[in-house]
Amino acid sequence: MDWSKQIGRYIVVMALQVLLFNQLQLAGVCHPYVYILCLLMLPPTLPPIAEMVIGAAAGLLMDAFCNSLGIHMAACVLIMLLRPYLIGRMVNDKDRLTEEISIHALGFEAMLRYTVIMVVVHHLAVFLMASWNWSHIGFALIETVVSSLLTILIILGYNLVKYK
Amino acid sequence: MQTLLKILARYSNFLVFIVLEVVAFLLISLNSAYPRSSMLSTANRLVAWQYEIIDEIGDYLHLKRVNADLAAENAVLRSMVEKDAAFRAEYQSAKVVQLTTDKPHNYITINRGEEDGVYQGMGVRNEEGVVGIVRTVGSHYSVVQPVINTASQLSCRIAKNDYISTLVWNGRDYRYAQLHDVATHIQVEPGDTIVTSGLSPAFPEDIPVGIVENCMLGKGDSYYTIRVRLNTDFRRLKYVETICNNDRAELEDLNNGLE
Repeated sequence: MDWSKQIGRYIVVMALQVLLFNQLQLAGVCHPYVYILCLLMLPPTLPPIAEMVIGAAAGLLMDAFCNSLGIHMAACVLIMLLRPYLIGRMVNDKDRLTEEISIHALGFEAMLRYTVIMVVVHHLAVFLMASWNWSHIGFALIETVVSSLLTILIILGYNLVKYK
Repeated sequence: MQTLLKILARYSNFLVFIVLEVVAFLLISLNSAYPRSSMLSTANRLVAWQYEIIDEIGDYLHLKRVNADLAAENAVLRSMVEKDAAFRAEYQSAKVVQLTTDKPHNYITINRGEEDGVYQGMGVRNEEGVVGIVRTVGSHYSVVQPVINTASQLSCRIAKNDYISTLVWNGRDYRYAQLHDVATHIQVEPGDTIVTSGLSPAFPEDIPVGIVENCMLGKGDSYYTIRVRLNTDFRRLKYVETICNNDRAELEDLNNGLE
């Protein structure tokens, strides 16, 4: 497993997240959190505890940029808990997988399902915690749908370009 | 003991998950309490620095408008010097480094910090009207909680009849805020001016807040729901002024004496 590649990609994606995606203000409902691409695509060889700690660290850094201390951390830890189970359900022989999770490793359909579940769970958690008010729940759901769509498209697009 | 260890090992993933989530929720609740760490926010120098770079690039594209705004601001400043002679307040201009307007909890990062005399609870305005209150202070940057944050409450006055009310924001449109506690016997109509009350140590009296857009009265309500069009255009915020209240030590002493 190539760690320098994973870290290099994280730095690039995080820079794009902060410089580009955080600046989007499309009618107030579109906040794609593309930085979780790096968490989604981590190789499946790590122990689950390490995955959750990595998720917590990535979420905490994102929180620093969003003034939302704890919210991204909670959401990232949640999806990192789900990750091994999801991957286990998507492929029959999980131990065979050593490369990073991608369209190449899972195939298009499984990768699509995996990405949709992870992104929607993460975005829903973030927007619900950020609104923290039942009267805004409808708005948080709209935000989740719009932002998740964009994030999913970007993550799959990146995969298609990289592994075409 | 051995079985206990076995159980712990079996559920270790889930235990770590619980611990991390508890830490995250502690941080979230810490974040809603008043004083908070400037390390993990945009008051952090490194974090604010990269926002300043984006802003520098944007500056070249907005030079013309900024120039016009600055000229207007100068004029206002001159008049302010005379008007506020009685209120011992000092204004200092600050640049907006980062801001959001489309979330329930919006924050503004400005390029002034502790070393520039910024303190927590300090009022912030611009030439149009109130902006917000300083929430987190770093050494060179601070984070302002603007009026358009669902946690904000601002003591206001209806200019024509001196009725005091509290301005809140419902998290939707960055151009409008709401007054919820104006009793029905008070005369309010669209077009009325809302200004600061001067009751909080953050703002002197009569800083413009907004204009009443409409007043709604539900069946059986004894309070109006008033929509206020905010004077400050948060989406275009580039420069703000921090308001240093030179009397605040005395005011604090007086309040402490009451407790």
